[in-house]
Amino acid sequence: MKKLTSLILTVILSITLFAGCGGTKDKDNDTQPTNTTTNEAEKKELSDTEVIEGSEEAENAARKRAGAADTFIVGTSELSGEFLPPYASSTYDNYIVNLMFDGLVIHDKEGNYDVLIADSYEVSEDNKTYTFKLKEDLVFSDGTPLTAKDVAFTYTVFCDPAYDGSRNEAGNELVGYDEYHDGDADHVEGIKVIDDQTISFTFKIAKPNHIEKLAYGIMPEHIYQYEKGKSTEIRDKMNEDLFIGNGRYNFVDYEEKQFAKFESNPLWFKGEPNIKNIIVKHTTVETMFQELEAGTIDFQTRVPSKEENKQQIENIGCLNINSYPDNGYSYIGFNLRDDRLADVKVRQALTYGFNRQAFVDVYFNGYASVCNTPLSQVSWAYPPQDQLNKYDYSPEKAKQLLEEAGWKEGSDGIREKDGKKLELNWVTYTESKFVETMIAMLISDWEKIGVKVTPNLVDWSTLLDIVYYTGDYDFDLYNMSWSLSIDPDATEIFHSKNDVVGGFNSTGLHDDEIDRLLEEGCVEFDPEKRAEIYQEWGLRMNEILPYMYISQSTEWDVSNNRVKNLDISPYCDWVYSIENLELEAD
Amino acid sequence: MLKYIIKRLLHMIPVILTISICIFIIIKLTPGEPVGNQLNPKSTAEERAAERIRLGLDKPIHIQYLDWLGRTLRGDFGQSYIYKRPVKDIVGHFVVNSFILNLGVFFLTFLISIPIGIVCAKKQYSKTDNFFSVFSLVGISMPSFFFGLLLIFALAVHFKIFPINGMINAGSETQGFERVKEVLHHMVLPGIVLTIGSLASLVRYVRNGMLDVLHKDYIRTARAKGLSERKVVYKHGFRNALITIVTVLGFWLPGLFSGAVILESIFVWPGIGSTLVDAVNGRDYNLMMAIMLLFAILTLIGNLLADIGYALVDPRVKVGEGNS
Repeated sequence: MKKLTSLILTVILSITLFAGCGGTKDKDNDTQPTNTTTNEAEKKELSDTEVIEGSEEAENAARKRAGAADTFIVGTSELSGEFLPPYASSTYDNYIVNLMFDGLVIHDKEGNYDVLIADSYEVSEDNKTYTFKLKEDLVFSDGTPLTAKDVAFTYTVFCDPAYDGSRNEAGNELVGYDEYHDGDADHVEGIKVIDDQTISFTFKIAKPNHIEKLAYGIMPEHIYQYEKGKSTEIRDKMNEDLFIGNGRYNFVDYEEKQFAKFESNPLWFKGEPNIKNIIVKHTTVETMFQELEAGTIDFQTRVPSKEENKQQIENIGCLNINSYPDNGYSYIGFNLRDDRLADVKVRQALTYGFNRQAFVDVYFNGYASVCNTPLSQVSWAYPPQDQLNKYDYSPEKAKQLLEEAGWKEGSDGIREKDGKKLELNWVTYTESKFVETMIAMLISDWEKIGVKVTPNLVDWSTLLDIVYYTGDYDFDLYNMSWSLSIDPDATEIFHSKNDVVGGFNSTGLHDDEIDRLLEEGCVEFDPEKRAEIYQEWGLRMNEILPYMYISQSTEWDVSNNRVKNLDISPYCDWVYSIENLELEAD
Repeated sequence: MLKYIIKRLLHMIPVILTISICIFIIIKLTPGEPVGNQLNPKSTAEERAAERIRLGLDKPIHIQYLDWLGRTLRGDFGQSYIYKRPVKDIVGHFVVNSFILNLGVFFLTFLISIPIGIVCAKKQYSKTDNFFSVFSLVGISMPSFFFGLLLIFALAVHFKIFPINGMINAGSETQGFERVKEVLHHMVLPGIVLTIGSLASLVRYVRNGMLDVLHKDYIRTARAKGLSERKVVYKHGFRNALITIVTVLGFWLPGLFSGAVILESIFVWPGIGSTLVDAVNGRDYNLMMAIMLLFAILTLIGNLLADIGYALVDPRVKVGEGNS
């Protein structure tokens, strides 16, 4: 499971991490269903975000911990020490960045953006220029004023020729990026400091999702300044643990692979947060429950949502599960370059022929739902459920579709057509329970419809090489998962122009309808029209199946019930409302 | 003797070069690359190509090796791709953490297992001997994963004598002697697990080495001379049994600096084991090369020390005199 989690995390990550909030509904007695099969009408909406509460009476060691009243200890996977907005690439480092840095804007519970340290912003007629007016009297945690120059400095880092972080998209769509990055311009033309409080950004092309790129935290120029082309000096400062921000918490200490420690920022523009100290501790899946029980952590992020873990949590008693749907999905990708799989009927047959619901039930014990289109169920872009083909398990339908497509059963039970057999080579990755569970079920389900599948297990890096980078496309099927950003645009993955070596359209999908919708979607400014475009796109993706979508899982963050006012939802992690948190202690 | 050591050290140079070439070729032939290992659809193919050029991955493999060799000889091990820092800093930092833990285990293991081994050999097939034979088997076969969790459950969660994991308390700001005490406290549980695991095998080595010696003719002679049993066992017997132990000692040297991945994961010990796994999974060539080469060199030095040790304990081994 750890592997799967890390796998999911390695994916997209970009703006995903600046996540927003969703409504939290407390349902005391409503536990997760353990069986989501049969009755469609009764199926629980997975888009529900809920808190499964523990008992207030239960023995609670964390309440008695020394300093418990003003110290909040969070358990996460390993941090990597890249705690500056342009460089943080893991979900965990982004927690830290969001503790220490505030950006111009931030998204809300539904994923819409609003001002944070900006007072207001205006978008020009042509939708290309964003002008921000900063709030008055903003300061960094060292007391120096935060001005438009610092904002310009921060965004120029993304454009620096030596910038080696993973957030190029925050700079490369600005006017003047190429002249600065590849030429000898001394500033990025698209970033204009108008006065101390006012700054504007101009993009090359108008797109509705530009605002997401303006949410990165602002860094103080006087601390991190460097000459053009030498932005790696920022990395040196990061390695020396020099972190000065403008956010809710100030950096205190970082011990690699151990913990990071923070103290509330008395200069924060909305007033000092409630809790004095925050410690983010490195925990592992082997002992996170022992730590929760012993009260050495108050909160654990991303606990695998499994029945056995739920049992452990219930036994400890004093823990709440903050459950919400993961903003992502897992899938099996078809290689459409192969004649056999180019036929949509074959792909549909294979999807009907695999009991995905049974797989999800077995592997996730019901803490996940079957996915039918490459969108998160919490997204505004998700098409109406009743219009989606659910591809409920039906070997008969699968056989019928295969017959229609001309695949007849051969003497050995494997279907053939024009001398070709329906034998599929599935490349997948090692050390994953997810894959191990799927192998057995997929082989036996497809055997029943006359399809033979041979899994070929390789390590993760090798799989990436085979699927994306070598350009041989030496596979029929592969499986991975995507985590999604708030914006549904998926041009990189499904547009035909990205079916190139090193591009991410690894299935080789060429569909005019999909291309058209993706192109329209990323330039449509009317939110309702945009939603319609993506819903139509979602339905088309549901029909043509370049992927066999597998599952959208449930995420769990486990908290001690002494922690109050925690508000977690798909777009909104524990850092989002940390300033309102309250701790109870004995 | 000095001449012998220098000669052996010089012999090590071509061996290390050969090893480095082998490692380099193997890790370069493995599919996958550091660039693009973090699947990020917002990164374009051109950006990744530029990144490959920046890292020199577009060059032919022999040029890459020579580049690497040149840098390394100048003491520059390069930047780690996943940690984005000089490899030297990373290896230094994590190896020290592993070393602290392993050194404690090393002394504890030898201090405990040598007397036990001797006693077992002296009283072969006695109750003590049988007890430790069974104990050894259990110790060798007990998965550290299971044993570690058992200890954590009993001594950390239930009795709260020791911390559950980590090297220091989360958020600790202790200094100096207090810090040492804190680290020692955190070392106890992982230390016990490692010691039991290696104790078992070392007891077997010492016992068998001693048994071998105690059945030799010169021991019978010593006894016949009327020497006290003490003298027979410790002076005549043990000194000869030391040869076995010295061999084991040699093997242990690289072990002192290496990490145990599972143990590090259970006890959240910031050692080199998990770092190497991260490096391999992330195809972090510079970091992999540095760590593996370090282990190779330590193994060679371990062998050398063992050979020197033989000369010291075994009068039959003569060095430096006309050996070719």
